[in-house]
Amino acid sequence: MAAEPTVQELRDLVAAYEPGKGHLLPALHRVQETYGYISRDAIDAVARQLNTTPALVYGTVTFYADFRTHQPPKTEIAWCSGPACRLAGGERIREALENTLELPLGGHSDDNRYGLHLGQCVGTCHESPQVWVNGEVKGNLTVADAIRLAREVKAAE
Amino acid sequence: MNARLQAIIDDGKKAWAATQAGGRVRITVTHDTSSIARGAERTIAAIKDVAARKNLDIDLAITGSWGFCWMEPTLTVRTAAGTRTVLYANVTAERVEDFLQRTVVEGGDMPGLALGVVEGNPTSEIPLLADHPWMQGQTRRLMENLGTTDPENIDHYLAHGGYDGFGRALEMDAEAIVKEVLDSGLGGRAGAGFPAGRKWDFLRTATAEPRYLVCNADEGDPGAWVNRVLMEGDPHLIVEGMLIAALAANAQAGYVYVRYEYPLAFDRMQRAVDQAYAKGLLGGDILGTGRSFDIIIFKGAGAYVCGEETGLINSIDSYRGMPRIKPPFPAQAGLWNKPTNVNNVESYANAPLILRRGAASWSAVSDAKEKGTKMFTFSGAIKQACCIEVPFGPKVRNVMMQYCGGPISDRPIKGFQPGGPLSGLVNADDLDITLTLDPFRERGLFLGGGGIVFFDESTCVVDFCRYFLSFAEDESCGRCTTCRGGTQRAVEVLRRIQSGGGHDGDIERLEGLVRWMVSSNCFHGQFAMTTIKTALKAFHAEWIEHIEEKRCRAKVCPGLVEYRVEAQGDAALPAAKEICPTGAVLEEEGRYRIDDALCVRCGACRELAPSAIALLDRSTAPVLEAAAAAGG
Repeated sequence: MAAEPTVQELRDLVAAYEPGKGHLLPALHRVQETYGYISRDAIDAVARQLNTTPALVYGTVTFYADFRTHQPPKTEIAWCSGPACRLAGGERIREALENTLELPLGGHSDDNRYGLHLGQCVGTCHESPQVWVNGEVKGNLTVADAIRLAREVKAAE
Repeated sequence: MNARLQAIIDDGKKAWAATQAGGRVRITVTHDTSSIARGAERTIAAIKDVAARKNLDIDLAITGSWGFCWMEPTLTVRTAAGTRTVLYANVTAERVEDFLQRTVVEGGDMPGLALGVVEGNPTSEIPLLADHPWMQGQTRRLMENLGTTDPENIDHYLAHGGYDGFGRALEMDAEAIVKEVLDSGLGGRAGAGFPAGRKWDFLRTATAEPRYLVCNADEGDPGAWVNRVLMEGDPHLIVEGMLIAALAANAQAGYVYVRYEYPLAFDRMQRAVDQAYAKGLLGGDILGTGRSFDIIIFKGAGAYVCGEETGLINSIDSYRGMPRIKPPFPAQAGLWNKPTNVNNVESYANAPLILRRGAASWSAVSDAKEKGTKMFTFSGAIKQACCIEVPFGPKVRNVMMQYCGGPISDRPIKGFQPGGPLSGLVNADDLDITLTLDPFRERGLFLGGGGIVFFDESTCVVDFCRYFLSFAEDESCGRCTTCRGGTQRAVEVLRRIQSGGGHDGDIERLEGLVRWMVSSNCFHGQFAMTTIKTALKAFHAEWIEHIEEKRCRAKVCPGLVEYRVEAQGDAALPAAKEICPTGAVLEEEGRYRIDDALCVRCGACRELAPSAIALLDRSTAPVLEAAAAAGG
């Protein structure tokens, strides 16, 4: 992940996008893929480039679940919220993860070492119930497995 | 046939033939999100590693899903002579060394992992794949190339009839293409079943310019991965389908809106479009015909409601993905207020097949009113989570027994959800319902995009309803008070019932929400209550038990159950105490008890100490005198 960008770097990053062409989401993806999240400065840069207001850009960023307004945590556990996982005990796994990490879904630790994310079903239901740790599937979990996993993540530097 | 297209197809065939005539053993690994989740990339790495170490001269390729998702990683081994191909399942990285020794070094088979012979003669140990019970009754047309071609290589697609339908469409006028698609009877595959040809005709006869096509690849229904299988397995089918629709409707540009959660599908679609541009199949003056068409692959950002066509249009248009008020309909004023046609991935993907085979032969596959084949994915309380393609019409029970391998345990199937969180719940009494649109409509249900989820007696219907309503609440765009407030209210009532506070009038209260929320602007609000509406009827007794008797027969609802230590002295109790995330398992002088106020009902303790800790139904469990009584 790159270091904190300057305003000029952000403006340069989105310089190719144009107003009125459906470029808002692509510009925001570009920012997030480069820096991991969309900062207040990035919102200003995108708004300026696309001839719109920071309010509209902010409204868009916060409407979508997968745009982030803060740095992603070092380790992120994404809990699968899909129905097959639910039927296989996923809700009990959510309770266990939230209570072990002492975070709600969408939360991250104060030092941003770890966070808990609500993941959507992608149709790997043969692995249910599952979570993703930094994108990698951990499937066929028991609740106890999930607690041990969360404790490891919490204890890791 | 356009001469330039013919040359491109001939080149593709030559390139494919060259891959098949390598004189080397060819291993083709299924590489998609499902197989990756089960270790396909580790298997590929292991194959490369072993091949390098043992100096094996093999070709290694990737392909899309066969549909055997529960047995990934799957792969085929084709002999050096090219006369025999066998499909294997569960080839994990740990098995690769042994596997290559047997199949490549010794040139034999590995019957223990084999699913069937794809090409060549069967043996006493490995029958033909076509004779595999799981393949019976399937008609693979959309999935024809999956398992064979490399989805990242346009030549492979071209060598298997690819862009042939487009070539035919190039020689027809727009009306004739529309007529062919109308004659086929192709209905929208997202669940509405509206004739695709009529939609295309709306766009064709629209007066404003330019006109746009949108492919809805925002497959947000949890439990559905049909569109993902297609995009990851044969992306050119969708590109070609959109090209044909563009000719039929005189569209200038098309957007494929891929959900954020499908990065591999996004990459494969982008690659397919790039290759089509490179071959002159997209862009300006396509193949010298003077026609032009652009495709933009557009990445969503995580919003279920963008699966609603006008929400999706707003999302491309640089707004929050909030559905618009209709009319005007997209055919009059869609993207940038210009005429726009929105179809599902599977709908577009059928167009090349219709043009290639002709409408009559395409639709002859089934007797059902709904023409053609439909892909389905199955998950939940079944043995085999999988993806199949069948002609419309089989009974759900048969499909569940044959393709899904039946219930996952001894518990009987209790019901199923036919297609997404807005589609309703069906009782197992109704398992003989056919996979066609009308029987679902008649029952106030909805056969959606193809993601069917089965549940068994371990599932609480009230809890499952709360799951779907919480989803609808989270994903409401917030515009309509009916939807925003209605979903919140429904979740509130359900939570109260689940925590033991159900009371008189709750069922009427929920029924009121059913009536109220249909006044929402879009499908999301209108159908958010379908689960509850259908479940109140189909599982009526269970609601009464929850509300009046405060009993949850599946022992799921947090306020109606309780974990208790029933046997002291069990060796597993210390581990149960240790695993509890809230410190609810207490021990004093060797005696254990669970502090009910701290217990979050995660059940981890009972997993570790199943014979000492019980999950009790609170309505019948003896009341504890005092916590101290159990603790000693």
